[in-house]
Amino acid sequence: MDVSQYLEIFIDETSEHIQSLSDCIMTLEKEPENKDTINEIFRAAHSLKGMAGTMGFKRMQHLTHDMENVFQEVRSEKVKVTSEMIDILFRCLDAIEGYLETIKSTSDEGTEENEAIIAALNRFLEGSDSEAPKPAEQKQESAGEEQAGGETEKKFLEVQFSDKDKDALRAAEATGAKLYGMTVSVHKDCLLKAARAFLVFKSVEEFGQIVVYNPSSQDIEDERFELDFNIFVSCDVELDKLLKAVESVSEIAGAVGEQVKCADLFGDAPVPSNAPAPTDGAQTPDAAVKDNKQAPAKAKTASKPVANRTVRVDIEKLDALMNQVSELIIAKNSLVSISSQEGNNFQSQTFHEQIEYLERITTSLHESVMKVRMVPIESVVNKFPRMIRDLSRKLNKKMELYMTGEDTELDRTVVDQIGDPLQHLLRNSADHGLESGELRKERGKPETGSINLNAFQEGNNVIIEVSDDGNGIDTESIRRKAIERGLVTPEQAERLSQKEIIDFLFMPSFSMAKQITDISGRGVGLDVVKSNIEALGGDVEVKSVLGEGTKFTVRLPLTLAIIQALMVEIRDEKYAIALGSIETIEDIPIEEIRHVEAREVINLRGVVFPMIRLDRILDIEPQEDPESLTVVVVKKGDRLAGLVVDNLIGQLEIVIKSLGKYINNSKIISGATILGDGEVALILDVNTLF
Amino acid sequence: MAEQIEVVEHIKKQYIVVNIGNEQYGIDIGYVDNIVRMQKITRVPRVQPFFKGIINLRGEVIPVMSIRVRMGFEDDVFTNATRIIILKIEQQGLLGIIVDEVKEVVTLDMADVERVSSDMSDGKASFINGIGKNGDDLISLLDIFSIIEEKENV
Repeated sequence: MDVSQYLEIFIDETSEHIQSLSDCIMTLEKEPENKDTINEIFRAAHSLKGMAGTMGFKRMQHLTHDMENVFQEVRSEKVKVTSEMIDILFRCLDAIEGYLETIKSTSDEGTEENEAIIAALNRFLEGSDSEAPKPAEQKQESAGEEQAGGETEKKFLEVQFSDKDKDALRAAEATGAKLYGMTVSVHKDCLLKAARAFLVFKSVEEFGQIVVYNPSSQDIEDERFELDFNIFVSCDVELDKLLKAVESVSEIAGAVGEQVKCADLFGDAPVPSNAPAPTDGAQTPDAAVKDNKQAPAKAKTASKPVANRTVRVDIEKLDALMNQVSELIIAKNSLVSISSQEGNNFQSQTFHEQIEYLERITTSLHESVMKVRMVPIESVVNKFPRMIRDLSRKLNKKMELYMTGEDTELDRTVVDQIGDPLQHLLRNSADHGLESGELRKERGKPETGSINLNAFQEGNNVIIEVSDDGNGIDTESIRRKAIERGLVTPEQAERLSQKEIIDFLFMPSFSMAKQITDISGRGVGLDVVKSNIEALGGDVEVKSVLGEGTKFTVRLPLTLAIIQALMVEIRDEKYAIALGSIETIEDIPIEEIRHVEAREVINLRGVVFPMIRLDRILDIEPQEDPESLTVVVVKKGDRLAGLVVDNLIGQLEIVIKSLGKYINNSKIISGATILGDGEVALILDVNTLF
Repeated sequence: MAEQIEVVEHIKKQYIVVNIGNEQYGIDIGYVDNIVRMQKITRVPRVQPFFKGIINLRGEVIPVMSIRVRMGFEDDVFTNATRIIILKIEQQGLLGIIVDEVKEVVTLDMADVERVSSDMSDGKASFINGIGKNGDDLISLLDIFSIIEEKENV
């Protein structure tokens, strides 16, 4: 049996445990007395250790073991949680993550011993009343508490034997060797039960021979057993030795056994055992039982290992699938366009019905593929609380991060790339946004600054807002800076709107930081944020009130490849407008158009918004106005704009294609699509028109 | 050894000879992916003036450039002989260029090609990197990379 097949599971599970450890340690820092959290941490650290041990990553196991020891002391209230300890623990997590990274790339843990961290951990142990527990003791202790959760019963006494097993046992007994029956139970959170069982067998076989397995060895190897399994061993050594060997395998909750005789075993009535030989007979500490009181409740939910009903798929395979769905949709569109042409033979009712049916199928197929690609942004944002904590230390400012909507889902490729921009924005808020504690007090704000990260879905977009209650953006000082840099003349600067001034922040190498820190201020921040987000087809907006705070709004498209669009015609050119951004479509009589500051506006049921003549923007020959204009009203956030078009063609599912790298794309056009008749139409990015 | 040197001196390259305006140009066949007839080009607003737009080539969207406008000639007149040559350039993908006519494929001995340095000041020369002789005809060899690069912002 080779462990490499478990490597991927190991990597995934380890990252999960690291994340949950990180979350718990954050909670622990706030509530050092929280027993549940401490238990949670202990369990996670213990599983980490166990997994590293199974996979043979000794250094990682060593580190997690020492970490576990510290938690053990915390749990038994021998040491208090201090912020110094929290720091060390975070360093530990980083080190474990380091191991994991190395394992990911080389399948080996590397040679970093992290002795400094281990030494630091051990200092806490020395600081506690008791001496640092020796590993062996430690193991027994933990084994003890686990057993308290679910006492290993001597199930081997109730095993029903097949004739073949009976023969084997009798034969083994006949050799004169001692015959032991054992029941071994694995820890209820154990992930690789078969691997554990295998290790148990291996350690037992160092002493003797396993005569009978129950369930059968094949079943055990395939993980077809609950939490315990029985073995019958024929060997010459004492039972204690065997049991010790078994218990030394990690994630084994306990093992019991006794010497058996065939006659007793095969007799109908199981012989009650007189002296059970649990490994830790002396140790059934009250504390362990108490600490474990929430474990049974948890065990109930986790005890029935539900078969894993998920499949891991390489994102490239999903991309390929997506491309094929795109091609299918193009093919479907061309069928639709053929069927709607007049003067051909495809006018029959059934043909149209079938086309409609095909259309429904392709649409739902597309939706399914999209859903498969969606992942919650949680995986990206859940590292932020830790980051803010570190920043808080570094900057010596008190701050708190509040997050909502972590379960908002986005396309996998978008999620993968949104981490860095968001991180930038958060750092920005922490560094530039929030004032120092003293200044906040002076201004009558709570000393602890708050940073909010809210995510939610809006139509075909996902909005992520990063806001803080800090100083806000000082437009005056940006104005001065822009003049200083020669970007605008003082006269021009006077006329700039607040939005235009804030836009300077997104220009390359325009840093407002008075001093360069290693957190931000090198002028490579916001412009990168903007270009990253735009590369994903999104955009970013800023609202700020001086003295009250700043809010960055990141808008991202739900999907990258296929959208529902309204096809419109302007003269003889066809354009697609994403359906998600369309509010309504109106016929506006020419005399209802008003002028405000020499711009055309529409007053639609009391709402006034600008009217944009697409033909002018798209460099199309203007024509004389008809009596009434067809206006597509589009929205961006809470703003509206009316786009004047000549004709509406209809709704179409379109596949977005890039224009390639050669064309210096004006931002108005976000891409192209191929229509059913093979013609190419351009996709308007209405967000750029506001 | 001596033979190898011989070979190096007589590298032969194939060029597609096209008419652009009144002149003959050669395009290194290694960059040519395809030659297609003129088809409907979808105009893309607000881009560089020498980009005519985009076409659909078997499901791919490909930008099409007017080599005439690029080199400062007068705008294309589309005839029955007009072709779009699809160039394939590593990493940047496919690009179509419009030519008046595709004539033939010639094999030029690199020894007969006169190198032209690209910093000649009459502007046009910067798009060619050599002049080849094919019988009595002179063929200007297009420098694909100076066509796609945009240092001098037209």
